[in-house]
This record gives sequence, C-alpha cells and structure tokens, in this order.
Amino acid sequence: MRNRSFTKHYYVMLLPGLVWLALISIVPMFGIAIAFEDFNPGRGFFRSEWIGWDNFEYMFDLNDTVQIFGNTVFIAVMKIIANLVVPLVFAIMLNELRFTSMKRWIQTIVYLPHFLSWVILSGILLDIFSYTGPVNELLSIFGAEPILFFARADLFPYIVVGSDVWKEFGFNTIIYLAALTGINPSLYEAASIDGASRLRRIWHVTLPGLRTTIVLLAVLSLGNVLNAGFDQIFNLYNPLLYSSGDIIDTWVYREGLLNMQYGLATAVGLLKSVVSFILIVASYALASKFANYRIF
Amino acid sequence: MSNKSVSLGMALLLVVLSACSQSGGDKNGADNGGAASQPAEAASPSAEAETYDPFGKYPETITLTYGKSVDPTDNSLPGGDTPENNQYSRYILDNLNIDTKVTWQAASGTNYDQKVNLAISSSDLPDALVVKDTQLREMVKSGQLADLTEVFEQYASPAMKNFMEKTDGKSAEAVTFDGKMYAIPSIQVQSDGVHEMWIRKDWLDKLGLEPPKTMEDLEKVAKAFVEQDPDGNGKNDTIGIAGQQNGSKLYANFLESTNNTFGLDPIFGAYQSYPGYWLKDDSGNPVYGSILPETKEALGKLRDLYAEGLIDKEIGIRKSAYEPVVSGQAGIFFAPWWMGYGPLPDAIKNDPNANWQAYLLPLDAEGQFNAHMGAPSTLFVVVRKGYEHPEAVVKMLNMLVRDESKFDISVPIGYYPLRVPMSYTDESEYSAKALKEVLAGTKKPEDFADPGYKLLAADIQNVTKVKKQPYDDMDIDNWDPQADMGTWSRIYSLLVGSSPLEQDYNKVYSLLYSQTKTMESRWSNLKKLEDETFLKIIMGAAPLDDFDKFVADWKKQGGDKITEEVKAAIQ
Repeated sequence: MRNRSFTKHYYVMLLPGLVWLALISIVPMFGIAIAFEDFNPGRGFFRSEWIGWDNFEYMFDLNDTVQIFGNTVFIAVMKIIANLVVPLVFAIMLNELRFTSMKRWIQTIVYLPHFLSWVILSGILLDIFSYTGPVNELLSIFGAEPILFFARADLFPYIVVGSDVWKEFGFNTIIYLAALTGINPSLYEAASIDGASRLRRIWHVTLPGLRTTIVLLAVLSLGNVLNAGFDQIFNLYNPLLYSSGDIIDTWVYREGLLNMQYGLATAVGLLKSVVSFILIVASYALASKFANYRIF
Repeated sequence: MSNKSVSLGMALLLVVLSACSQSGGDKNGADNGGAASQPAEAASPSAEAETYDPFGKYPETITLTYGKSVDPTDNSLPGGDTPENNQYSRYILDNLNIDTKVTWQAASGTNYDQKVNLAISSSDLPDALVVKDTQLREMVKSGQLADLTEVFEQYASPAMKNFMEKTDGKSAEAVTFDGKMYAIPSIQVQSDGVHEMWIRKDWLDKLGLEPPKTMEDLEKVAKAFVEQDPDGNGKNDTIGIAGQQNGSKLYANFLESTNNTFGLDPIFGAYQSYPGYWLKDDSGNPVYGSILPETKEALGKLRDLYAEGLIDKEIGIRKSAYEPVVSGQAGIFFAPWWMGYGPLPDAIKNDPNANWQAYLLPLDAEGQFNAHMGAPSTLFVVVRKGYEHPEAVVKMLNMLVRDESKFDISVPIGYYPLRVPMSYTDESEYSAKALKEVLAGTKKPEDFADPGYKLLAADIQNVTKVKKQPYDDMDIDNWDPQADMGTWSRIYSLLVGSSPLEQDYNKVYSLLYSQTKTMESRWSNLKKLEDETFLKIIMGAAPLDDFDKFVADWKKQGGDKITEEVKAAIQ
C-alpha cells in the first residue's frame, strides 16, 4: 500500500464519487444564502433582496418551531435507541440458533422490508391500522373498542418508531452478525469448559466482543438526532397528528414547497444542518475516544 | 411573433412589387417613400385580419410545452393514446398546427401543485401552465410571465371575451397586475362553488324517510342510515355522512373556494357559519368567518354527530373519499353539481340501484339554504416570459370554447392541453332548466340559440339517449347510463345536480379571494392552526372550548394584522 504507483488508481476510482459529491452536495450549498434573503425565484439567489436574520427571527417567533424540534428529537432518539437494541438482541438470538440453514432463511426474510420504500409500506400500514383493518379486528376479538390509530396523536410517534424498527432491524442485524463472526470461537470453548451456561457465555463473551461495534454505531448515529425520517412520516401523517408527528423535514417541505416560503424554510433547514453538523463532529470525537474509530 | 414577421414580410413584398411596377427596376421599395407607404397601408388590413384570426392555423408546426395534471385513476384513454398524444392534442395539431408536448405530468391536486411550485422556485418553466391564484401572484412577482394584454385583445374569440365580461370584471381583475394581463382566467360556472347534499334516495325510501330538511332531520336520517342497515347486507357497516379524505378540506375557503368535494360546507351553512371566508360584521368591518361564534356552534354540532358515529369515523384520514361512496357504504355526502362525472359512475357500476339525488339542504333555523359562493376564476393559464407564440395558448382556448360540444367526451375533456373551464357563470342551472323544458315539451331546441351556452345544443340532442320516460322523474331507474356513460355523466349532473340551484338560496361571497401581504408569510401557519384545531374538536381529540383558545391564538399570531390588511384591500 505504501507504493505510490499502486495507490494511484484508487484516486482515479475515487474521482466519480468526488464529482458526484461536488455536484450534488457541495454546489447546492450556496443555496443556503436563501435563508438570509426575501427569495424571489425569478431573480435567483444572486439578486434577491438581502434581509439578514429576519427569517430566523420570524422562525423563533413561531409556536411551531419548538414543537417541530421537540417532535423531531423525540422520534429520532427513540429510533436510534430502538434500532441499536432490537437488532443486537436479534443478532445474538440468531447466533445461538443451531440450524444454520434456518438462520439464513430468517436473516433473509427479516431484511426484506428494508428494500421496500416508505411510499409502499405506509400504504400497507395505513390499511393494517385502519378503522376496519386487521389490527382493530384482532382487538375486537378481545372485546376492545376499535381505535382510530391515525387520529391519535399520542400513539403516532410509537407507530412511527415501531414500523421503522420493523423495516430496518433485519438489515442492522447483519452488521452485528458480521461482528459476531469476528469473536474467537476458542473463547466460547474455554467458557463452556469452565462450566458457563449459555446466558453466561452471551454475557461474558459475546457482549464484550461486540462492545466496540455497539459503541461505534451508537456514537455515529448521533448525527441523526435531527433526522426523524421524512418519507415515512410524510406518507403517514395528517393534520390531526401535527402536534406529535410534525417534524422539521415535513414542516420545511410544507412551508417551502407548498406555501412557497423559501426563505423561512431554508432558515429552518439551515438551523437543522448546523445542529446536525455539531453533533456529527461531537460524535466523531466520541467515536475516536471510546471506540478508537478514525476516518482520517 | 413569426406570424407578425410573416405579415410584415408580405407587406414589404407588396411594397417591393408595387414599387417595381411603378418605377420599374427600383429594387429598394423601402427607400421609395411616397410610393411605398400607400400600398403598405392598403395591404395591412387584410394581412392583419389573417394574423389576428382567433382560429388561425400556423403555416409551420410550432411546439408548445406544458405541465399536465392527470387523474391517475382514469383509464378512459384508448390503447396507444397518452396524456400527451390523444384525440385532443391531435385535434389541436390538425386544426392549429400546434404540437403540444408534455414536459412533466403529475397527479391532479396536491401533486400537481407541488410540481408547479417546484417549477416556479427553480425558474424551470414549460411554455405554458395552469396555475392557482397564489402561484400566479408568485410568478408575477418573480417576473416569470409573459404579458398577455395584447395577444388576448387581438386573438381572443368573441365568445371568450363575452364570458369575461359576464363576470363584472372580476375575472379580468384577478389576472391584471399593474394594468397588465398576465394570465387567461378560467371562467367557472357559479354552481362549482355551491355544495349540495347528495343522498341515497333508495335508502330513504327503504327506511320510509324523507330528505332531511333541518339539522335535526339530518341527524335522524344519518342515524337511521347507520343503525338500520339500509343496504340490507346484514352487517353494521354503513356510514351516515361521508367526509373529506386526508389532505382535503373540511370546507372551501377564500383561496380555494370551489369544488370542495366531500367537505361539510352545508352543515356550517345551516348555522350561518362560513369558515374560511371573509365576511362583513355588523359594523361593516371585515372579519374572518372561522373565528365567529356561529362556527363554534357548528363545530359543536359536528362534534356531537361524530361522537354518535353519524359522520365517517375516518374523516380526514381516509386515503380516498370516493371509496365509501363507490362501494355503497355511505348514505350522504356534500359536493357540487358535477358528481355525475365522478364518483357516481363507479358507484352505479357497483350498484345500479344506488339512487343518488341532490338537494339544497340542510336549511338553517330560518328555513333558508346558505351557500358560500366561489370566485369566478380559480385557475389561470399562464405563459412563460420569452415564449415565441403566446397567442397559441389563446387560440387553443378559443378552440376549446368553440368545439367543446363536438368532442367525444368518453375521453374526459381534462385531456385537452391547458384546459380550464370556460363558460357563462350560470351555465349549469340554465342548461338544466332548458333541458327540462325541452323534455316537457314546453320549449323547442331552437329556443336556445345562444352559442355561448356551448354544450347546450349537444345536450338537448343527447338527453333522451340516457334519460328514459317519465322525463320528470329523476330516480336512477329512469336512466340508462349504459347507453353512453359520457353523456350520462353530463346529463345526470345537470338534471339531478344543477336543478336544485334554480331555487332561491342565500349566496354569501367572500370579501376577498386572494392573499394580502402578511398572508404570504403568516397564512400557512394560521391555516395549520385552524385545520388542526377544527378536526380535533370534531373528532373529540380536543374539547370544544379549545375553539376560544384558537381564536385568541389566531388573532395574536397575525390574524389581527391580516384583518386590517383585508380592510384596506377592499376599500
């Protein structure tokens, strides 16, 4: 790898990715100027009127702002935790399975939903949880009153988190399974010779072996604290659910694209990006400290 | 533009020719001042008449790109045809030599609006578009639109100008900014804004009930519909009053004042409440209808109805409001006159006995039906600044007005490129009346000769194709939808849907149908507050007294300032 001529072609291979990054992620960054403008699409952002911090002042003036930031953090943090714990438990359980063919089957089946888009899945969810849907029929067998799930703001965040975990846990399990294969089998043998039960072995061998992976995944997901999942919520919510389900991204979308409040929407989006950026830097620092993880 | 230069060229040619014949050999006609000016003047009237022909066919095919809204559930296009290439686009190509190209298409409604907004914000516009009022204003502000003042004056057909005049200048006002005309407005029938009660008369008959006149009656009928198994399938699965779908409106408002299908507008009307409209209070000052005590009263009633299970449990949540109507679950819904176009065709396909009839009900405590009226123009055809043939759009619309009655409407007219409704504002009531008179034999088809009622002649000709004897009984078994579904849609909408509008009813107009300055930034926030609060109150997720908090918040968060602006705007 030290050989320069050997590494050169890696740079060439990197090039398309860099071009893509520049075009898709860096060039549009100049659009954040809109947050400080009374943006007029006819004039473009070079000639629109510069109004400084007005959009931000108005943003903090709005009752919505606190609500949407609160909703976003609440849903996103729950998602982060659930998406760490559920796949971990599932991966360990899978690992303990004796029949390897069964293990493959289960693994494949549980990660299938990952490849479906939220547009399709939300349609399915709306049907499953509808007033006359299967969930309510099940409830009625036990004599419970049917529940209008998508009119209950108090339940919505949990439906969002639950369905997100259901969709993604199979895929996240793969990462843990990969880490599990890295644990030296002789450790298990030693433990069982010492008379450790299955649970003991999980506790003293498997979990410590996974520690770095868990910490790393946890720390890296910090950057997502303000990403509660636009396409999922957008396809599931309605005005009744705004109080608990309206997140930054859906709000920005409605305000910016539906109501043509470009400046305001960009301001909120920019604030989100700034906070996320700080969190990502922090998470990187934490990752290098606790998990010895370095990119550069 | 190219037409102008063609005519200029022709005029010059004449000049050159006449100059040649006069001075023999002098090739530069323009220099030959005296001799040239005379024949040029003589030539121009005839050349101009050709240039300004409202239906003039282009000598060379020109291209016009546009964004198209399509109804994703429609499957009426014959094989091989597309939203871009169909009988209407070919008709335009054959008769005007305009090749219409769809730049992008989106599902009608919210999806199309988003697409337009995106096009506006990125300044990446097709040559022409159909837009809403707020979008028109944004585009004018951004300087994206061509000034149509001249081309409209020159090319609009007399019929189209006539429609404009009939709105007392309201339509022209809506598209004029700083004295320039920036769009061609739709001219809608006023019946598009009147929401009637559509009810299953076969269910009423079966249960021995009358159409409900008052709110108490309505409650009784809805209760009977829910509890007495009117569809006779032995299951407790019927819905009394159907409601709007997710993303649709509970009631029409001053910005979107027409065609609010499945909203609950008439129930608000029965309490003399007009939420979403700008009204005059007792002292003559503007006030927003949603914050008035009448609205609270109506909400209280709706809340009770919902709690009793008489309104669709999934109001505002359903993916499609059509669904319960089509599947024969719903007994009552509120919508404008044109339900014969949809969802009723699908409803009677499922159940040929589904006898949907329309009434101007329920009445208020004084026995009057109150309807909030729509703006005469809610859709606008705009042309991108810099497009070479702005008059092409005018010509296409001219032709739509002239030939609409000739088209085979088994393919919906919505596939006509840039189609917006254009007609006399009383067209549907007038046509319904005329049809009934012709059917009764009291008048002859020749008595209705005004070509401005552009579809009436065809309607009169077709009516007996789908309407069976007796002609004065509108129940569904006296119709023959299978004979011609397209014709049935129109005639049923007129005779059943528009007939009630011949009665006297109280028409309430909004003081304003467009946005003021502060609304641009604050309105969406206030609107969200309103939508959320009202729906929560009705569905029991918030107490009725949250209404008072809403009023206070609304005023504080910009409502008061906006009210002041409205006051200034209407003076």
